[in-house]
Amino acid sequence: MTQYIPLSDLLPSPAKTADVEFFDPPMCCPTGLCGPTLDQTLLDVSEMIVSLQRDNLRVERYQMTSHPNAFLANTEVMKLVIEKQMAALPITVVRGKVIKVGAYPELTEIKAKLNGAKA
Amino acid sequence: MTTQFIFFSGKGGVGKTSMACAHAVRYADEGKRTLIVTTDPASNLADVFEQGIGHQVTSITGVPNLSAMEIDPDKATQEYIDHAMAPLRAAFPPQMVQVMEEQMSGPCTAEVAAFDRFTDFLDVPADNGGAFDVIIFDTAPTGHTIRLLELPSEWSQSIDAASAGSGQTCLGPAAAIQDAKHKYERALTAMRQSDQTAFVFVLHPEAISIKETRRAIAELRKLDIANFRLIINGIIPPEGAQNPLFAARTKMQARYLAQIDADLPYLKQRMSLLAGEIKGVERLRQVGKIFFDGSSAAKTFKAEQVQPQAALFATPLKDVRALLQPNGHRRTVFFAGKGGVGKTVASCITAVWLARQGHKTLLLTTDPAAHLGDVLDSPVGDEVAPVSGQPNLWAVKIDPKAAAETYKERILADARQRGRPESAIKVMEEELDSPCTEEMAAFDKFIEYASQEGWQAVVFDTAPTGHTLRLLELPVDWSTQLDVKIFASVETTAADDVAKQRFGKVIEIMGDPEQSTFAFVMYPEATPILEAWRAAQELGTVGIHPGLVVANMVIPLGQANTAFTLARRNMQEKYLVEIAERFQLPLAQIPLLSHEIKGLAMLAELGEQIYQNDLTVKEPVTGVAIYG
Repeated sequence: MTQYIPLSDLLPSPAKTADVEFFDPPMCCPTGLCGPTLDQTLLDVSEMIVSLQRDNLRVERYQMTSHPNAFLANTEVMKLVIEKQMAALPITVVRGKVIKVGAYPELTEIKAKLNGAKA
Repeated sequence: MTTQFIFFSGKGGVGKTSMACAHAVRYADEGKRTLIVTTDPASNLADVFEQGIGHQVTSITGVPNLSAMEIDPDKATQEYIDHAMAPLRAAFPPQMVQVMEEQMSGPCTAEVAAFDRFTDFLDVPADNGGAFDVIIFDTAPTGHTIRLLELPSEWSQSIDAASAGSGQTCLGPAAAIQDAKHKYERALTAMRQSDQTAFVFVLHPEAISIKETRRAIAELRKLDIANFRLIINGIIPPEGAQNPLFAARTKMQARYLAQIDADLPYLKQRMSLLAGEIKGVERLRQVGKIFFDGSSAAKTFKAEQVQPQAALFATPLKDVRALLQPNGHRRTVFFAGKGGVGKTVASCITAVWLARQGHKTLLLTTDPAAHLGDVLDSPVGDEVAPVSGQPNLWAVKIDPKAAAETYKERILADARQRGRPESAIKVMEEELDSPCTEEMAAFDKFIEYASQEGWQAVVFDTAPTGHTLRLLELPVDWSTQLDVKIFASVETTAADDVAKQRFGKVIEIMGDPEQSTFAFVMYPEATPILEAWRAAQELGTVGIHPGLVVANMVIPLGQANTAFTLARRNMQEKYLVEIAERFQLPLAQIPLLSHEIKGLAMLAELGEQIYQNDLTVKEPVTGVAIYG
């Protein structure tokens, strides 16, 4: 009778073709609006994502609890996670390549890498 | 035939479980395959049926066709976490597994897990493939029930929004949740079918009970649920009304019965107050005869004989007073317990008593359904204001909705000032329209008052138990979360440090018995005691322990002078002993009164009687008809 509501992406997910991926540290919610204090960094990240999406780029955010398979699927990310543990997060990946570890990048950094990747 | 669903709703102590069980036995005796399910964490289905039940469908002995199940929310949550975590334990380093487990232990997972089990029963095939003809839900008390029922529509919205937006929800990725969404939609559809689902509200002919029922029905109507029935329970039978106290209460009940007739236009049935407890299948059948067939309660119901044991639970009142009075520093008194057990009355009596002792006292409520103003007979608003007619006493009401609005405006104004673009502000605004914001905002206010200087005594008339626990547990959770955040190497802001200090101070105050007293209010009856005990246990897990218990509606010895009132008094004594033994704490007693408590004069007099007068047995003090 029990059919569990899936809390996470435990089923194998189709290959992702996201332009930008963020592997977030554990947090209450990605917008930063539901903690005891507002996290301005997370608000900046949300803003950055809106801006990237406006440029028709595909952006994905992953958390360990809800998207373990996204972590497991990326060997470079898992290597960092096992090596540095929590200190590795957040990890930013642009077109499959890790561009920043342990902090969120600026929009300009992402744009530069995207342009570089295109070239 | 299509499976019929019947939900029983009502506050702890109104007889909801008894009525649900009496219905279940009756349907099963009529040959219908019947299941009774409880989602109440303080369920006493096992006590009522006098057999073990637990977290699985169990046949009831002596009633062919009847099964029961107690959904254990903790167990459901654990099953859930284990299921989700199993594959991760192997893949991630232990430090990260620990953080993930902490995250999954949040209230969100508990709600998902409980709701998941709940929809399992609603999601049955529409044809005759169902295992049961009737499924009775002895649901969790009102506020919690409403939350559970509201979740499907909120989730549907949040799932839709997430699919369109970032693909994120608080519950997990949108794609994964789509399947579950259909399950909730089917559940909600079934709940909306008037020919399939009925909501039965059990209430007492009393002001608070009527107000709560009206509020709960209004909430359900918003969810397009329309099939309601009322059972007005606890009606004093003619043989019970033969002494002055119960005769006066009969008159009071008649007024409220008239009000129910006028205000609540739904099918109504009445049930008599009985001389004893409803336990065991045979007594449930007797109740069925009284309720469905109109048999006389006096002739049909065979109450258990209980020995009087009055002498066993008298607490010296100086011990009680010591827990309430400031001793060198400020005293904060929290009244905890289920909605309707008399927290507001107990807190008003206590605040007035403290003010009359010369302590500068603040009385405040975080209960959205608070009726502080009704009891004080003086308006109470959302700003701290003196209570007219009572020197040293101030009062305030925290309205979560209003607090949420203020909070939201402040956050958005701040974001605009920081020069965030309108598109981002729009996203924030949507994000802030969540129930989470209300709780956070109410909590923010709670912290503000809990740490305000200048008071000698602060009395909190807290919100109903589940809500209270979450509210009170939040400072601990949040400061843990801040620790996790530091641990997770996300940059800690100065604001986080300030917040942590603020929470730290409140946690310290709440956990220090010299400064804070948690008083649990309950009726001397099985379910309310169990609910209070469970709530106290949960508080214990955050390092807060109750200091005082308050028994409300105790029939004065002097009024136990007819067979009916003596039987009920003896039953109460049995439970007063249970309270004393279980909690091992000083016990204060509020007597059952001939009319509702209202106004400063009556509150002052009750305070004297409860906290000053060391005689446990007492004749009426004055002409205001207080029996003690």
